[in-house]
Amino acid sequence: MEQLNAIIKIITDNKDSNILLEISLDTDLRVDLDFDSLDLAELTVRCEHAFGVDIFDDGIVTTIKEIMEKISG
Amino acid sequence: MDKLFWIDDDIIKSYQQLIKDTNNINLFKNIIYENKSYVLYVKIVHSLINDYPITLLDCDFSNTELTNLGFLTLDLQKSKIIHPKILHSVDELFVTISNLNNWKITLLTSGTTGVPKKITHTFSSITKSVKISKSHNADIWGFAYNPTHMAGIQVFFQAFLNMNTIVNIFNKPLRNMHLLVENYLISHISATPTFYRLFVQKEVTFVSIKQVSCGGEKLEKNLKIRLKKCFPYAKIRNIYASTEAGSLFASKGEYFKIPQKLSQYIKIIDSEILIHKDILGVSNDIPLQNGWYYSGDIIEIIEDDPEIIFKFLHRKNEMINVGGYKVNPNEVEEEIRKIENVNSVRVYGLKNSVLGNILCADIVVNDITEKEIRKILSSKLQPFKSPRFFNFVKKIEITRTGKIKR
Repeated sequence: MEQLNAIIKIITDNKDSNILLEISLDTDLRVDLDFDSLDLAELTVRCEHAFGVDIFDDGIVTTIKEIMEKISG
Repeated sequence: MDKLFWIDDDIIKSYQQLIKDTNNINLFKNIIYENKSYVLYVKIVHSLINDYPITLLDCDFSNTELTNLGFLTLDLQKSKIIHPKILHSVDELFVTISNLNNWKITLLTSGTTGVPKKITHTFSSITKSVKISKSHNADIWGFAYNPTHMAGIQVFFQAFLNMNTIVNIFNKPLRNMHLLVENYLISHISATPTFYRLFVQKEVTFVSIKQVSCGGEKLEKNLKIRLKKCFPYAKIRNIYASTEAGSLFASKGEYFKIPQKLSQYIKIIDSEILIHKDILGVSNDIPLQNGWYYSGDIIEIIEDDPEIIFKFLHRKNEMINVGGYKVNPNEVEEEIRKIENVNSVRVYGLKNSVLGNILCADIVVNDITEKEIRKILSSKLQPFKSPRFFNFVKKIEITRTGKIKR
């Protein structure tokens, strides 16, 4: 979770996003973090780099919880 | 009741309102650089009613990009005062635009040399694939393209010329997109596979959709299966289109058929599709060889008798397809190299399950962070042209001819 938080922070920082949000398992990538398709694509690359898993491989994930499930396999 | 033309969140406009808004324009500009979609359409319709040529620019072009394209800020502000034709009815609108002499539309497409090409279409060439009939009267379009690009313009004309309602679902949060489709009973969507990859959710179906069109990128088998589940009553079409030629072929699966009426304008040489100039837009920027444009699309012929059936393999040139937008890595590299403390850079596409490809860069720097680089690029390049992953390296490999290895 900590590593995933760090990845999300990189993406939101680079967006200069004003969203100051405590990430929880229910955080929705598009609704709460305002991620667009480019941000989601970046998230997949960074997650694949860090965890060796393509989190969008078999369809879209929408929440942090779903990413955690993909990562833990 | 007035037929609705455009729905975008709280902006709801009828065809009658559209006419009223065009009647109120007294200044016309040949260059349209507009970030509000409805206003963009008012300006396009105004140009049609008053029969003058227009050029559409992406509203997110930076000043640097505009200058590179040869547009000065002054050009964008140039306007002329006219006495516009005042229309009173929607019928009058369609009669007026059925007789155009001067109207042309110029679009910009990514060029292989770093400078986008300007392609000009007449009304008949831009609408050649539009189907107008009573059976399309009740279509309701979910709009899911950039409105200033060829695909967006084609959807606009298909809907507008049939007096259909267009609901903007582009760049909305997923839940809102789903609600818009359900609430407005959207029947037609045309979008890139990237859009559908994000739109389609497990166990969510939309029964109002009758037709789903995909274009701009390869439609992979897995996505097609997901589309069929999500839109159980829809025909799924794959469209081959380009800014140079507009829509040319449609397919039901991954196989495209060259229609009989186009057969004399299409040739295949060394697996590459060639398109004859007679069905292209007009441009000094389209390179022709004996009247033929080499599209750069490499295909495999499946059948060649009586009609050619083919499937796409890949692009011949270096353009990287990021979610349906073609990016020239040379243009991006050039912009990155201008940044102080950047010594060398190589931009490339990495396969990505969301966008098809994502832009990445290997970069050699002295003392600058990724965040700083991305901040500078955000003011110089459109968002999809900016690499999203930087790999800081000590050296970039080059080929024997001194080119960057891709």
